[in-house]
Amino acid sequence: MSDTSTQRQGRSLAGLIPSIDFSAPRHRAKFGYLLLAPAVLLMAGIIVYPILLSVNISLQDVRIARVGATGEPWTLKNYAWLFGSSEFWHAIWVTFKLVAVVGGLSVVIGFATAMLVNQKFRGRTAVRLFVALPWAVPEVVATVIWAWMLDSSFGVVNWSLLKLGFVAEPIQFASNPGAAFAAVCFVMIWKGYPLMSIMLLAGLQSIPEEQIQAAKVDGAGPWQRFFYITMPNMLPVVGVTLVMTTLWVFRDFAIIHVLTQGGPIGATTTLSILTFEQSFEFFRMGQGATVGVITMIFCAIISRALVGRMAKSVH
Amino acid sequence: MATVEFEHIKKNYGGVEAISDFNLHIEDGEFCVFVGPSGCGKSTALKMLAGLEATSGGTIQIGGRDVTELGPGKRDIAMVFQNYALYPHMSVRKNIGFGLKMAGMPADAINSRVEEAARVLELTPYLDRKPRALSGGQRQRVALGRAIVREPKAFLMDEPLSNLDAKLRVQTRSEIVKLQKRLGVTTIYVTHDQTEALTMADKIVVMRGGLIQQIGSAEDLFHSPKNIFVAGFIGSPGMNFFHGRVETGARGPVTRFGGQEIALPDHCASVVGRDMVFGIRPEHIRVGDSGPHVGLSLVENLGTEKILHFHTPGENVLELDRTVMANDEERDAQTMLIRVIDDHRYNDGDTLSLAFPVDKIHVFHPDTHEVAR
Repeated sequence: MSDTSTQRQGRSLAGLIPSIDFSAPRHRAKFGYLLLAPAVLLMAGIIVYPILLSVNISLQDVRIARVGATGEPWTLKNYAWLFGSSEFWHAIWVTFKLVAVVGGLSVVIGFATAMLVNQKFRGRTAVRLFVALPWAVPEVVATVIWAWMLDSSFGVVNWSLLKLGFVAEPIQFASNPGAAFAAVCFVMIWKGYPLMSIMLLAGLQSIPEEQIQAAKVDGAGPWQRFFYITMPNMLPVVGVTLVMTTLWVFRDFAIIHVLTQGGPIGATTTLSILTFEQSFEFFRMGQGATVGVITMIFCAIISRALVGRMAKSVH
Repeated sequence: MATVEFEHIKKNYGGVEAISDFNLHIEDGEFCVFVGPSGCGKSTALKMLAGLEATSGGTIQIGGRDVTELGPGKRDIAMVFQNYALYPHMSVRKNIGFGLKMAGMPADAINSRVEEAARVLELTPYLDRKPRALSGGQRQRVALGRAIVREPKAFLMDEPLSNLDAKLRVQTRSEIVKLQKRLGVTTIYVTHDQTEALTMADKIVVMRGGLIQQIGSAEDLFHSPKNIFVAGFIGSPGMNFFHGRVETGARGPVTRFGGQEIALPDHCASVVGRDMVFGIRPEHIRVGDSGPHVGLSLVENLGTEKILHFHTPGENVLELDRTVMANDEERDAQTMLIRVIDDHRYNDGDTLSLAFPVDKIHVFHPDTHEVAR
């Protein structure tokens, strides 16, 4: 850009925001705020407003909420219903079970695969691609495929189990509560572990090679190197990964909805499924919004606790 | 305590030969330095000794035991890394004691050994800190502590001073030498800095392109370099080189420098009529009353000493492959240096007469780069 055009631009900017030199130390921060403003406004519009809206709805005794309609008077009726309802406590129990099983296993599997593809071997790129594949498939597409494979009448999973003699009759993934929960866990782990693996691989690659070499010279075997060097170095990354999995499992809707619709008899009804049921199946939007608000509070507490812990353990 | 022996060691990466036929014997308690420009194979040689890299051929012995097929933990060596490689999540105490813990030593025995090592290295006040709360020099001492506490057969050090600032480097250099003398442990030290090599080593191994160029003491390398590379690499500023034809003068062999005769060592009588490469160190050129005249192009005053630059006479300019002169980046073949310590005031453009003492002139074959004797 030539000098004259820079000057011209400077003059026209000066016309808009009179006499502030943003390169001056005193004004530098202001320019930052100016750049952030559009993003902040956008977030306020698409994140903060809906949150406030759902808090508002949760405080009203409405069946179908209409934006712009004259609001009902605020009441705690929905919350009273919620804490007295066995459905809600059951959904919390199911959600935490799911978080524990899916979160735990996908971190373990993700860690193992990350360690595997962190080794140097022929065809490593192909294996890395293969590990990441489930993550790349759209969630609904993947779940529909799994729903078909897990079908009790013509699913390939039952067919294989029968042929191999592991089961005597087909497993009823749709009607057996235990089997349905296991199927949801399995598909969620299948879908969720690749991201864990990718993040943990990045963490593994950031461990200085010389630390591992120093441990080798110090006489540490493979297990000792894992427990004394790799694990402590990885704790911050594992922390972030756990937060992400936990929040994902808490909020995920598509997999359960497509696979089991929360059934049978509520065996896979998590908080997000319950929100949907109340709002769009039973059309009690006030109660649905209440479940949503409680879910949000849980998520906020969990992420705060884990992020805080993790920040402390960063070296 | 142990001797270290490399026998016909080779290392290939794919088709590329990084080290070929590396033979070296290091005496018990000796301080041996591998020195050379980057990519010369010195770190690879050290890593093969440590067991961190596999050899492609040959055997390595430590204390008379063949360790070629053993892992790093079974070779009874300790290593100090360039970036210290401390374990960031462990306290200084645990860092130093880690090797002993891996060896299965009881906790109280580890503790007394660690305290002793910390006392030697003046680290006692820092034992319960994490490495991140230490300065660079202190971290370096922790890395040394981790090595000495194990009482290994040999210390391996991979450019341990290169992350320290200049002043601390000089200080730590002498501390390492004193420590090594006191403990008497065979030490193999890798550096690209020839000053470190000259000041620390009992034995220096100069390497280039995966080949040993010369093995010897600092004296040997400085006064009797075997080839142009060693001559140029050792010493700072590096040796001056020029080329010329050997002729027969009135009192023996001579060559011409800027048109004037310069006397050469007697052994040059055997190469009369041939073009040779001549080398002379900047501190050996004498400023006198007679001899070739040169005009100074630059005078660098360093306080005690002065470095005088002058252009090599056109017919004497030596065209050498840059890689041969890897140590001397600021140097070009057209310029020669004189290092003087005197009270005379030199100015750019002054004309001086130079004398080249005959016993300080090194003569090399231009094709093989080997010294002519």
